[in-house]
Amino acid sequence: MIEAISAMASVFTDPYLLTLIFATTILGVIIGVLPGLGATTGAALLLPFTLTMEPVQAIAVLSTIYVSATFAGSITAILINTPGTSAAAATTFDGYPLAQKGEAGRALGIAVVSSTVGGVFSVIVLCIAAPLLARVAYEFRPPEYFALTIFGLSMLASISAGGAVKNLIGGIFGVWLSTIGSERVTAIERFMFGNYDLYEGLSFVPVFIGLFAISELLVQSKTVNKIIETVALKAVKLPTKEDYKRIWKTILRSCGIGTFIGVLPAEGATVASMIGYSEAKRWSKNKEEFGKGSIEGIAGAEAANNAATGGAMVPTMVLGIPGSGTTAIILVGLMVHGLRPGAYLFTEQVEKVYQIFGSMLLANFMFMAMGLYAARLFARVSLIPISILWPIVFALSVIGAYALSQSLVDVWIALIFGVIGFFARRHGFAVAPIAVGLILGEMVETNLQHSLKMYDGQWWMILAQPLAAFFLVLAFLGLCGPYLYNLITKHKN
Amino acid sequence: MPLYGASESFIMKKKLYIIPLFLTLFSFVVIYLSLQLDTSPEMIVGDSMQARSFPIFLMVINLLLVAILSLQFYKTYPKEIELEKFPTWSSMLLFLIFYIIILISGDMFVAIPIVMFLMGLTWGQKKVWVSLTNAIVTPLSIFLLFDYVLQVRFPRGWLTNIYYG
Repeated sequence: MIEAISAMASVFTDPYLLTLIFATTILGVIIGVLPGLGATTGAALLLPFTLTMEPVQAIAVLSTIYVSATFAGSITAILINTPGTSAAAATTFDGYPLAQKGEAGRALGIAVVSSTVGGVFSVIVLCIAAPLLARVAYEFRPPEYFALTIFGLSMLASISAGGAVKNLIGGIFGVWLSTIGSERVTAIERFMFGNYDLYEGLSFVPVFIGLFAISELLVQSKTVNKIIETVALKAVKLPTKEDYKRIWKTILRSCGIGTFIGVLPAEGATVASMIGYSEAKRWSKNKEEFGKGSIEGIAGAEAANNAATGGAMVPTMVLGIPGSGTTAIILVGLMVHGLRPGAYLFTEQVEKVYQIFGSMLLANFMFMAMGLYAARLFARVSLIPISILWPIVFALSVIGAYALSQSLVDVWIALIFGVIGFFARRHGFAVAPIAVGLILGEMVETNLQHSLKMYDGQWWMILAQPLAAFFLVLAFLGLCGPYLYNLITKHKN
Repeated sequence: MPLYGASESFIMKKKLYIIPLFLTLFSFVVIYLSLQLDTSPEMIVGDSMQARSFPIFLMVINLLLVAILSLQFYKTYPKEIELEKFPTWSSMLLFLIFYIIILISGDMFVAIPIVMFLMGLTWGQKKVWVSLTNAIVTPLSIFLLFDYVLQVRFPRGWLTNIYYG
């Protein structure tokens, strides 16, 4: 415990790390306010820049981008009715109407405070829950890991974008992508078509840059002639005593919801903010204010989306199962820097783990300060013409894709996956399930192979393991529960 | 019951099933390619799976999901998708131009400024000098950052040959 606290405190006293987190928070807020960029694209673009950093510094950069960009999406959501990130979509429902009433400063103040409380709460939960879960995960064997990854994949069905079936198809496609290259047990080459650059499989970094950054570039090309209306902002105002009285319960509720949603594999800040918002409305005494500038609506959405950031780090670091699109990139960052996620990370690299948690905590306070004192300035960044911004994203994407392996093949992979991602999104398929599927694919296949070997090819023995059976039942209920419930209620009626 | 009536044109219905058809075709191609993979001797695989088994298993699940998707499309008419405008298609074309320039020059730092400049113009930038400045300053800054700080070496080509000597 003392070791953990001192590791976290060391972040606050390390001048290099402090400067790095400060600079990254500024960058994260800028990324968050730029419509279309967001935490996931930002993390994908910044990953190559962390290559020469120490592991803790690199993950601190990525997680700072995650928390600060998630918050910053609210700035544009409130001022220009355009969520900088999808996680801030629910903030527009009440943030923009309140800003239109001439209370933009108050709306931003509530968003800043709620986001900070949500973020700090989730980091505290992360610090407590992650080691406990790691202790449980220590006992996991291949059947349990196999069942857990199946559960993770089944959760893709409920990602907000796309429909359940489309998300699952995306996830299956991602898992199939993980089979490209040499098979690990037999060394048989699969789907390589004679290209030996693919022998080790598809690199995560160029695929992610393609899916998130380049596909977004193509999506943004549709908005070339979009006219943005802005609301004037004089200064950000901290909530008054009256405001606090009205929103504290909403914030606490959303903190719990956001953290819980974040912990669920493959769920993320967007789902959390939507549920946080709808729960705020359900419990509110002033329901009629919702949609017209309710401060509870802003607090509910903002506390939940930032609470999801810490929650999403729990399965990422303990089980190696990403809690969201951005944590999928953080997971790749961990692997690139030699930190193998899992229970062993919490026994062999405890100091580094808590330094990462400490940097997330610090980032929450830093974005609070920036939100309060520089929101006006950051809001102006969102007005950068897209004809300047997106060519820069293109340059960063192709150079970033090249940088990791210093191979032009990775650049082509990024461009190809950019086009695939664009067409997928065009037809209503989200790209996050493809990314999550790609990461989990190897885990699914390897653990299934090991499980089959353990039980002499008797696959049904996996179901005889209590924990594995528990996860598989959860996966089944997650997939079929809503349909079964509908069938039962229909039958009763 | 399908939401669209029987009077809906056949072409509309056909358009509706392009995605499921494409996904079905993709699944069958993967299954076919998987069946062409070598099999490993029993002593290596043991009680585990052959290399072909897992992709086939995935594609069978995919086919089931595609069947459900088709049923959903039949029951609920999906939203009409607007055809993309010039900036989107031109951006994809610029990716192709990027590839061709690299094939000819071998240099990323010839291709990137050209594509950035053209992308700026096709995305509605009316001031040519703004697009040009962006196309020169950004790649140069990124190059210097990667070269000095991250020590990444870029492929040799027309410009990098001059720099690297």
